[in-house]
Amino acid sequence: MTRFELLRRWWQRYTSQILGGVGVVALAVYLQTTQAWVLRELYRGLQGGRVPDTRLTDSRLQELETQVQELQIQNRQLQQLLNYQQKMPLATVATTVVGRSAGHWWHQIWVGEGSAKGITPGSVVLAPGGLVGRVLDVTPHTSRVLLVTDPSSKVGVMVNRSRAMGILVGQGTGQTVLEFFDKNPDVKPGDRIVTSPFSTIFPAGIAVGQIESIDWRAMPAPQATVQLYAPVERLEWVLLHSYGAKPALLAP
Amino acid sequence: MVRNRLSSLPSLGGVLATVLSALASLALLPLRLPGMELAGIAPDWPLIWVVAWSVKRTAWQGLIAGVTLGILQDALVNPGGGWWPSHALGLGVAGALTALLQKDRLIQEDFISVALIVFAMAAISETLMALQWSVLGHRPLGQIWLDHQRLTLASAILSSLWAPLVYVPLSRLWPED
Repeated sequence: MTRFELLRRWWQRYTSQILGGVGVVALAVYLQTTQAWVLRELYRGLQGGRVPDTRLTDSRLQELETQVQELQIQNRQLQQLLNYQQKMPLATVATTVVGRSAGHWWHQIWVGEGSAKGITPGSVVLAPGGLVGRVLDVTPHTSRVLLVTDPSSKVGVMVNRSRAMGILVGQGTGQTVLEFFDKNPDVKPGDRIVTSPFSTIFPAGIAVGQIESIDWRAMPAPQATVQLYAPVERLEWVLLHSYGAKPALLAP
Repeated sequence: MVRNRLSSLPSLGGVLATVLSALASLALLPLRLPGMELAGIAPDWPLIWVVAWSVKRTAWQGLIAGVTLGILQDALVNPGGGWWPSHALGLGVAGALTALLQKDRLIQEDFISVALIVFAMAAISETLMALQWSVLGHRPLGQIWLDHQRLTLASAILSSLWAPLVYVPLSRLWPED
């Protein structure tokens, strides 16, 4: 038997396996390059119209929305008094959480609305309690949200009382740490944390959490452990804000 | 000749069931049902599937299955469609190693040994993830390896407990040759 003959036999024997293997991997690569658009939409389809008990959430939501509207109106009037120009968040969509992170090393959630409702990557995600994260990417009916507890999440924040600034970094454990810019920030346990007016990703003044403890010896600047207001590990529904242009900071 | 090759091909129903079960293992990932969570960690369903697939197959088949499911899991997780760190590495190695283990005839084919293999493979695949994170350098090293301990333990325990549930129906689906 010649070498060619051997090769031909080997090929005949394994053709289907080799082609199948190559085909399957190629398909997976294609799905990966489209960020599993098809899989995520399918998953959302299977979940169907799974709506939580809306009586509770709706009433709470309506209450909050009324409060927010009231505050927005007041805020606008005050801003007009000050000639302060600001773009309000464009749209708010309330939606349910349909899934949690599909990998152990990430802190993400999947929510049940997407580009069909005008959600865009970068939208701000709020929950009862305040900030929880921002939208990474969208399909027509799902969005993937990077939670503030993910180690890759960095949010510009400040201490409400003293205006001390820092960056809130996720720890991957449901905890977050505030790294101050200043070597000697005016801060004490119990201080409230809001998003910073210098953040380009988040609107200013969103409630985030409360200082739990402070490590003064951390290098290069002190760090504080922050207890988030929102129960990030047990979210059931969230509000998505399309957040457009950064408002002018100190317009005349 | 043609008939021979046709008979060696698996049935359409079998292929379909295999593909669907693999996709189902991915679809279980974002779900958190009661009893599925340990310290916020869910079982590594694709890993269980890959081990169940590889137990009676060749290393190459295990590798291909692991890499495929790994790439798909990346698609579901990695922000912005990034390729690294990839689950394909851990799952591919787990698939190939599981198939090689079988060759030694050291381990009996029952669901308890499958649970043990899953435990070991979960540890290996999480370690490969931690190594990738270390090389990429996005996160502080100390934090990566602290996370690694916590994630590995929770994932290995949970995955091995749920492994028989996945393995038994799948082993019925793939009868021995």
